[in-house]
Amino acid sequence: MINCSYDQLFDPFVSLRGRLSQINEIVHCTIYGSNRRNTKDYIFRVAIYNAPDGVWHTPCLPALLNVNDKRKERQVSDSALKSAAWPASEIQTLVNEGAGLVDPRIYTDQELYSLEMERIFGRSWLFLAHESQFKKAGDFVTTYMGDDPIIVVKQRDGSIKAFLNQCRHRGMRICRHDGGNARSFTCSYHGWAYDIAGKLVNVPYEKEAYGCIDKEGWSPRQVTRIETYKGLIFGNWDADAPSLADYLGEATYYMDVLLDRVPGGTELIGGINKWVIPCNWKFAAEQFCSDMYHVPSSHLSGMIAQAPADLPPEALQVSGEGAQFRALWGGHGCGFVLGDGGYALMAVSSGQAVADYWHKDSIAAAEAHLGELRARKMSGMHMTVFPNLSFLPCNNTMRVWHPRGPGEIEVWSFAIVAKEASPEAKEAQRLVCLRTFSPSGILEQDDAENWIEVQEVLRGHQAKKTHFNVQMGLGRDLKADDRFPGDMDALFSENAARGFYAQWLRMMTEDDWSSLAPEVLADAAE
Amino acid sequence: MQPSKMEAMDGIATASLDLRSRMELQFEVEQFLYREAELQDDRHFEQWLDLMADDIRYFMPLRTNRSRREQALEFSSDHDIAFFDDDKATLIARVRKLRQPTGWSEDPPSRTRHLVTNVRVAVTDDPAVVSAKADMLIYRGRLERQVDIIVGERRDLLRRTDTEFGFEIAARTFLIDQATFLSNNISFFI
Repeated sequence: MINCSYDQLFDPFVSLRGRLSQINEIVHCTIYGSNRRNTKDYIFRVAIYNAPDGVWHTPCLPALLNVNDKRKERQVSDSALKSAAWPASEIQTLVNEGAGLVDPRIYTDQELYSLEMERIFGRSWLFLAHESQFKKAGDFVTTYMGDDPIIVVKQRDGSIKAFLNQCRHRGMRICRHDGGNARSFTCSYHGWAYDIAGKLVNVPYEKEAYGCIDKEGWSPRQVTRIETYKGLIFGNWDADAPSLADYLGEATYYMDVLLDRVPGGTELIGGINKWVIPCNWKFAAEQFCSDMYHVPSSHLSGMIAQAPADLPPEALQVSGEGAQFRALWGGHGCGFVLGDGGYALMAVSSGQAVADYWHKDSIAAAEAHLGELRARKMSGMHMTVFPNLSFLPCNNTMRVWHPRGPGEIEVWSFAIVAKEASPEAKEAQRLVCLRTFSPSGILEQDDAENWIEVQEVLRGHQAKKTHFNVQMGLGRDLKADDRFPGDMDALFSENAARGFYAQWLRMMTEDDWSSLAPEVLADAAE
Repeated sequence: MQPSKMEAMDGIATASLDLRSRMELQFEVEQFLYREAELQDDRHFEQWLDLMADDIRYFMPLRTNRSRREQALEFSSDHDIAFFDDDKATLIARVRKLRQPTGWSEDPPSRTRHLVTNVRVAVTDDPAVVSAKADMLIYRGRLERQVDIIVGERRDLLRRTDTEFGFEIAARTFLIDQATFLSNNISFFI
């Protein structure tokens, strides 16, 4: 029996393994002690003894390593400032919010990308699935959090569980299906089987191979936290992150234009359009956050295509009346046209049938539910919830920009409609969504063209040394608009983009939520 | 659920026809498909549109990874999201878009090549309508170095017309052999 402190035992992982291998006579050890991870002063007692039959019996070793695994996870979030290639002081130079300058290496650098996975995608609330994708227990979808594959499953009690789609034995993808219904998930490699909650329940030849094995300890890693907002299920790896409600903040006021426009909630149309664009994820996320400005240039041809043939092109220009929202905290943003032109704009961007549904059939219910401002006056909205979930409410599209290295994304695009809409209205919205915002979408086609070429140009050494301009609206006297929550600017602005990159910078350089949390900002303001 | 049009497009085998009739039908259909491909690849999109029937459904469902037990769910169904679900009016709109001076995704134009192969022809209950399946390899070169290769099965219902081309396309379904679409967009036709 030896006594040692938590740090002596577990820090670092390598030395623990060394300790065990150096003591040749160890064939069995047991640890005692609760996993009070916030205190370092308690004692683990490690019992070591020989097994009489000379065979390794390891009922406890997996548990030991598993505790260590949690310790390791903790260290990751503590080590935010310890990148050799990119110390925080260097990262700070990449985004200059006050000057409206962005260093384009944030779109190309592999090491920065790895840090994004750790510090942004490892700590932010990420969209997993919509509740309507699950009808009965065992219904599952597979998705991603950053680059990490995730299984999301409905449980018998109606709750949702999500866990890493990685077998704990040798790392095989446990489930290789896009979705379906399962009673269990069996790894194809060696046959370890997991129940729908993600618990290891069966290990082939367990007695012969392992003696016994700690199944609880060797279950796939559960997504640390799962919370929902109006049908959308989010996950977060970080136990210390703020609640989803605090994270979304006043962005929910705008999200509700899509998620809670009429009573009854939303549902997804079947199918997820998945495609690949060789560009950095921030181009897409930032554009949906902050960029109404590209519409008249990038998308004019698509709007002309849908408009009546005799409509002059000038009639299709986006009106200058509107506003842009920048979240006070969190990097979320959206923009929208304001006024009475919503019906006409929608007829052009989404077609007559959908315009009729939004502005005639459902307008009374929407106005009663959301109020006149959001139901009647706002239109043409674009939105991003930091880091990578975006919406276009008027095109019924919602999408996640899954990062795939610094130079590639997978777009996962969903069509979302009000549950209470008539079958005809749903069908009209389905068709418009896939005809406008999908790989073949006559509006979306041109976005990829832009992002790809920006990324291609950044192969250049001089190009990478040339700052991007994110200055639109800089220095403008922003007055609070008491009609809207958040920091408001004009329709054409990059204020929300600056908010997006400011949040990016904070998450990339600040160690933990003691400084990052929204309430810290609120306290500072007071 | 499989898209409903797909079963209807299987047609009836041509075994009942004599060899000469079968050869003639095969020849007619192949020549039509080659000429249609030529119109696309030579960018004669307005003439290509003339081959689309007024009641066309131009459909390209999604394809997913499903267990063998759930293979019926492999393709997105009639009222799910799709890559294409167009009618004549929206096909006209697409051509209108790419002809605009601001139609950036096709200006400069893509270089496409529609390779039509393994053509299988079947008759249907309607003597004026022929079912044609073909395997397709669509190549796109774009801008300096972009290359996209799209492979799949095309299922057409071809309706006889009194025109130079001899047929119009009453329905087209394209079944792609990719689950995650590996190209940035489909600004061309399939």
